[in-house]
Amino acid sequence: MEILSNLALGFGVALSPFNLLMCLVGVVLGTLIGVLPGVGPVATIAMLLPITFNLNPIGALIMLAGIYYGAQYGGSTTAILVNLPGESSSVVTCLDGYQMARQGRAGPALATAAIASFFAGTISTVVVALFAPPLAEVALKFGPSEYFSLMVLGLVAATVLASGSLIKAISMVLLGLLLGLVGTDVNSGVLRFAFGVSELADGIGFVVVAMGMFGLAEIIVNLEQKEAREVFTSKVGRLMPSKEDFKRMTPAILRGTALGSALGILPGGGALLSSFAAYTVEKKVSRYPAEFGKGAIEGVAGPEAANNAGAQTSFIPLLTLGIPGNAVMALMIGAMMIQGIAPGPQVMTERPQLFWGMIASMWIGNLMLVVLNLPMIGIWIKLLTVPYRILYPTILVFMCIGVFSLSNNPFDVLIMAFFGVLGYICAKLACEPAPMILGFILGPLMEENLRRAMLLSRGDPLVFFQKPISATFLTLSIVLLVVISLPALRSKREEAFAGDEQK
Amino acid sequence: MQIKNEKDFWAGLMFMGFGLAAVTIAVGPPAFLVAAWKSMGWGNLQYGYQMGTAVRMGPAYFPTMLGGLLAFLGFIVFLRGFFSELPPETMKANLSFGILDFVVGVALFAGLGYASKVMFKSGDYGMLAASVILAVLSFLFRPKTKPLILILACGMVFAYLLKPLGLVLATILLVFVAALGGHEYKTKEVAIVAVVLSIFSVVVFVYGLTLPFQIWPAAFY
Repeated sequence: MEILSNLALGFGVALSPFNLLMCLVGVVLGTLIGVLPGVGPVATIAMLLPITFNLNPIGALIMLAGIYYGAQYGGSTTAILVNLPGESSSVVTCLDGYQMARQGRAGPALATAAIASFFAGTISTVVVALFAPPLAEVALKFGPSEYFSLMVLGLVAATVLASGSLIKAISMVLLGLLLGLVGTDVNSGVLRFAFGVSELADGIGFVVVAMGMFGLAEIIVNLEQKEAREVFTSKVGRLMPSKEDFKRMTPAILRGTALGSALGILPGGGALLSSFAAYTVEKKVSRYPAEFGKGAIEGVAGPEAANNAGAQTSFIPLLTLGIPGNAVMALMIGAMMIQGIAPGPQVMTERPQLFWGMIASMWIGNLMLVVLNLPMIGIWIKLLTVPYRILYPTILVFMCIGVFSLSNNPFDVLIMAFFGVLGYICAKLACEPAPMILGFILGPLMEENLRRAMLLSRGDPLVFFQKPISATFLTLSIVLLVVISLPALRSKREEAFAGDEQK
Repeated sequence: MQIKNEKDFWAGLMFMGFGLAAVTIAVGPPAFLVAAWKSMGWGNLQYGYQMGTAVRMGPAYFPTMLGGLLAFLGFIVFLRGFFSELPPETMKANLSFGILDFVVGVALFAGLGYASKVMFKSGDYGMLAASVILAVLSFLFRPKTKPLILILACGMVFAYLLKPLGLVLATILLVFVAALGGHEYKTKEVAIVAVVLSIFSVVVFVYGLTLPFQIWPAAFY
């Protein structure tokens, strides 16, 4: 029972007072930004990255992970009470959660969301513990060609799962890859795309790009729209769902958890995709399809379970392969690099305390979140009444201080402003920034592995198809691309994301 | 030819621009341009990076591949802008600035940045001045661009004035400029937010996280 001893080690690490505190800080912050519409986990984690310089690696990563899954809890509160997704992954929770609130069942809706999230969190923690070690073992045998193909698969999956046009998403990935190459080329020492600016010699800071593309651009777009927020002020009422409710939500939670856990592992997956998929499934299998959109409890339970499960299992590719599945995971890689940890399969064997401590902390964090979100729901509701005109200057102050402190140089803020403009233009032109961020972080890694693989094969590009694992990854990527370009599926996909764009 | 999908049209142009720029910088500009540049007495135009071979890839290899592919995909997106079947009203880009405004903004930053680099050996003053001028221009002539320009300007003002003015004043300035970019501007409320935030950031960042910021203007020390 190696797993048990490993988990025991993990809980030992996670239960140390300092790490418990970090976990609490993470989930409180996560809930906070989840509740507040217009502040996402990507921008928040980017903002906090510079601060983690001074923390120990385990504490830092535990805190940052807490922000991501904590945001899934907080997001549902806003969705149910205000009919606004506090978090993009709770878009679908709005549909039925808000209707439940209007029928005076806000309490049971909130409780359902919390119960579903907690159950999913527990199960997916076990999934991570079970699946990560064997995957890491396989990954240890990967050579450069396998890594290159895996990254191709990851990027393709990210574009397929991005909302909107496929070809634009691929273009954004390419743009990200190119931007990732700015700076000194490791092989030749040549300064690329630096325009004689000495600050660019080390490349563009990842935090700076993420904050500009997500943080700044989000604020600008929000400010262009008129603020129209209607807080559902009626009393939350009793929290406990009825017996009938429990009966209906249990299978939904189980399905949501299974779906979320599976989709979270996929490259490009995570909370957002999982919640959409779960809602579609619930609607299909429900015995009361007519109730959907009018306050069906399954429409809250399924997606809420799925988004939390997906958020947690998306740590699997990060921890085992060192490859980020979504933008938040890309930031986690950034955090690991700041701490001098090279992400990859060796993390598990070389730093078991970090690996298992993080997994154990996820379960502890979920427990904290139930307490934070049910008995203390009143506090979060109060927060919803803070107007955006006070919120956004606060966010800006944190962002600017965070970016400036990276190297105590105003140049970083200038670059952030540049990416703010780019992010704003991309938002207006319906180009999604998430695939770009993935490309940005993978750019140098991909080039490095491509070069090595080609050197080993003496310039034969067929090597990627001769090695079985590498060939599988590439075939999968091609199949994915072809399938998604089929006209029948294309309209389905656009339909599936239609709800996303309406927000 | 009528643009049916503005979003695709501009996105395609943007991708083509980035792609072609990457290829040009990696492979080097065409020979006639290099010669023309030199004949104008502007010195040597940097002539690309080494391409290498597939076995030993030079620094130009991967960016050229990526840039070429990006330019190609950008061209397809650009063409799609003319053949969209979606209702054109929903495909408006709705950018708050025009292409001319964009050029003016870029020229302002490039010009003032270059001038200040020549005059003061640092581009910082130029960047700050360009941000302030652009903010004033946006305020006077393009009220629609206020969210964009003022949110960017508040960061620049903060960053470039943090060292001379100290954290407290820079934070207060940031909040005021940012607030001007919003819909409602209530001086009293903004002042309270500014003061609270500056106290908070001093306590958390300077005392708590011991970041090496000066709290008050440099002249006070």
